[in-house]
Amino acid sequence: MTNMRNGRRTALDAGSGRSQPNIAMWGAPGSGKTTLLAALNIALLRQPGSWSIVGADPASTGFLTDKTTALSRDKVFPPATQVLDNYNWFLVGQSEQRRARWFRRSRTARAHKIGINLLDPPGGVFGNRQGVTSQQELLRNLVQSRGIVFLFDPIRENEDGDAFEYLHGALAQLAEQVIAGADTTDGRLPHHLAVCITKFDDYKVLETAKRLRLLTADPEDPFGFPRVSNEDGKELFQELCRVSASGNADMALNAIDRFFHKDRIRYFVTSSIGFYVNPRTKVFDIDDYENLVPAVFRTASGQPTSGAKFANGVRIRGEVRPINVMEPMLWLGQQISTP
Amino acid sequence: MTESGEDLLRKALAGAVAGLDESRRLAVVEVAADGIITFELRRDDLGRPRCRFGPVVAWTSLADEHAWDHSGRDLDPTGQDPTEEAVIRAAGVHSHAALILVCSFPGSPLAGQALAWLHAARPEAAAFVQADVRVDALLREVVLNDPLDRPYELVVLKRSAMTGRLELAAHQLFGIGTRPGATAEVTARCESGDDRGTTFAVVAWGRKPLLLSLQSARLVPGRYDFTVELERPGRVRLTGLPGLVEDDRTWADLVATVPRQLGNRDVSQHLVCAVEISGAQENVTQRLDRLRQMIATMSAGLADLLEVSLITYGAHSYERGVQEEPVEVVDWLVSPGQALTSLNRLEERGPGAEGHPHGAQLEDMLAVVVGRVAGREAGRTVLLTVGDRPPHPPRVNGTLLPCPHRHDWDLLLRRLEQHPGMAFGAICDRDAQEAGPVWSRLGATALTRLDALDIREFGAELGLTAPQDQSVPFPLIEVP
Repeated sequence: MTNMRNGRRTALDAGSGRSQPNIAMWGAPGSGKTTLLAALNIALLRQPGSWSIVGADPASTGFLTDKTTALSRDKVFPPATQVLDNYNWFLVGQSEQRRARWFRRSRTARAHKIGINLLDPPGGVFGNRQGVTSQQELLRNLVQSRGIVFLFDPIRENEDGDAFEYLHGALAQLAEQVIAGADTTDGRLPHHLAVCITKFDDYKVLETAKRLRLLTADPEDPFGFPRVSNEDGKELFQELCRVSASGNADMALNAIDRFFHKDRIRYFVTSSIGFYVNPRTKVFDIDDYENLVPAVFRTASGQPTSGAKFANGVRIRGEVRPINVMEPMLWLGQQISTP
Repeated sequence: MTESGEDLLRKALAGAVAGLDESRRLAVVEVAADGIITFELRRDDLGRPRCRFGPVVAWTSLADEHAWDHSGRDLDPTGQDPTEEAVIRAAGVHSHAALILVCSFPGSPLAGQALAWLHAARPEAAAFVQADVRVDALLREVVLNDPLDRPYELVVLKRSAMTGRLELAAHQLFGIGTRPGATAEVTARCESGDDRGTTFAVVAWGRKPLLLSLQSARLVPGRYDFTVELERPGRVRLTGLPGLVEDDRTWADLVATVPRQLGNRDVSQHLVCAVEISGAQENVTQRLDRLRQMIATMSAGLADLLEVSLITYGAHSYERGVQEEPVEVVDWLVSPGQALTSLNRLEERGPGAEGHPHGAQLEDMLAVVVGRVAGREAGRTVLLTVGDRPPHPPRVNGTLLPCPHRHDWDLLLRRLEQHPGMAFGAICDRDAQEAGPVWSRLGATALTRLDALDIREFGAELGLTAPQDQSVPFPLIEVP
């Protein structure tokens, strides 16, 4: 199967030609999908272990390298993708499985190769007449993937409030194609869904979690970053939905429950850039953790400079230390690799 | 029960008058040789007892009306004697006022009968029988000697020796219970007034102050010792002030002439100028230029009494590996001339390094000023801040990044606000509402926009210069 639009192969047909388990990263335009992918790459590189991301083709490899460099070295966010580019990557690695046979225990390594598609369409939502081809492309990818990473940006939702609008149209069409042709009676999609609540490093998100008493600490984390456990992710999601600009975010939550099996949904509170850590103290500081700084738009002589380099007029203040970005991928990988 | 004796009556009347207020009234009914007379007493807005009395209702008129002669009277169907009713109506004893009955002609059966009827109508009323007593004279004596039921105060201006700020205040002359004839000695400073001179206003404090006396005198500026005498309730007399005349201006007109600040011509001043050097060159140059004009103008008026300090502050740097320029104390307690020379150097140097584009090291600057001013015991200090941006918070709050030194601008500013002799002036690039609450506090004494600065007026508000035509309408009393 070859993608006829750009001549590149998708995760479905790359490699041996066999169909691979596939994860689609999906979210409203500008919700941080590219940043999350780059953050995932940084997190995997920082983490000892066998997991890594590799491009399915030179263009995808180049894209990932560029975005990772921008984030980690240049401390800037990738600009919102303007053209639909169906890049493809593989999450590859090994997992150990323990087996007990009679009185002996043995360990066997199992190799994984999971396709990742970044579904990064330009603006617009399902149901609009503009960009029908893009929508069809997105829908085709969603249909073919077995796991979905859905990005929910609470700050964007607070300002724009379009998560439900974006989600519901796509899910309705996805359900129409998948459920109508399947021999199923429960009316739910077969996909596993990882809902990523992004921007945990933002003041409003962290303060909300703090107010709800959802913060925990990982004693093994050398920086002492606070975290929200995956079990509590849904509660934070619900609370953040309440301050949606449109007031419709609660319907997004209902739509997720309506279209997916309850045991195939998990909520992850994530941050692509992580909290700021003072290089001198090297530990999380509850009084000073924001990792974004406004970009300087003037030179010392007062002349304005181009701010186009800085997405949203901000840049990253310190080191990029992603929080909880690998976990959704590994969870989905494990779920969809299970025979 | 009846009592007798003029002293007892005087005492009872004085006690009843003392118990009056604006709502409680007193009626004194005298049953005299020629008829019945009723005195009504109440207090006015100023707390003064006022007495009103009607004409004597003669016995003859009562007899004409109701056939005083018992043989010819008609019986009322209710059984009440019509003559008794006429007496009661004539005395007005059915009102809600407290009542004192006085019979000054006890030898007359008419008077005795009338007193009995009146007492029967108001049995709780005190009744006195005292031959030949002059009730009107007794009441006049009681009213004139009535002690004050509220304090009387002289309106003054209090000037803070440190800040020069003027506040309307009251200097107590006579407290509650003071009797006529008492005097109060006052010492106050009188400055140049307007064409009427200095106004001496005495107010009575009830629920609200009420003007009792308003007089003015054109006085040569200086210290005055004068006496205020309480002649009687509601009337005071001032002695020791030459050329005192009645003043007919309204209170609102008088208050409108009070300046906020009085120039301190005899107090040394320390002007601490803190200027923000971050931002566009044009803005920084304008700030330095305005500061230069301020210092030059103030030094012309204060000469050797003015000392200047100069501090610059810029923006925090949050860039890794980029060392930020800290707050710089360019000059401390130097002459205005030296500060002006430093300003020229600063202008040549240009703006400071760019850092955070939306905040400034204001809180660091305040920390420096607190550290330096805290050790200075005497003198008056004016902190003049010239800039635009807000300070950084001490900890993350969703607005600006926290101050790298964790300085708390609110705490620091509060410490300065509590420092004796501190005044605050601010010249902000923007409107105060736009610039945020910190700039309103930095400009608590005087606040202006950079492009709307009137140097003389601004200096006067800060107490650094006195307006040429400044007049002080009330006597001045210094406070620390």
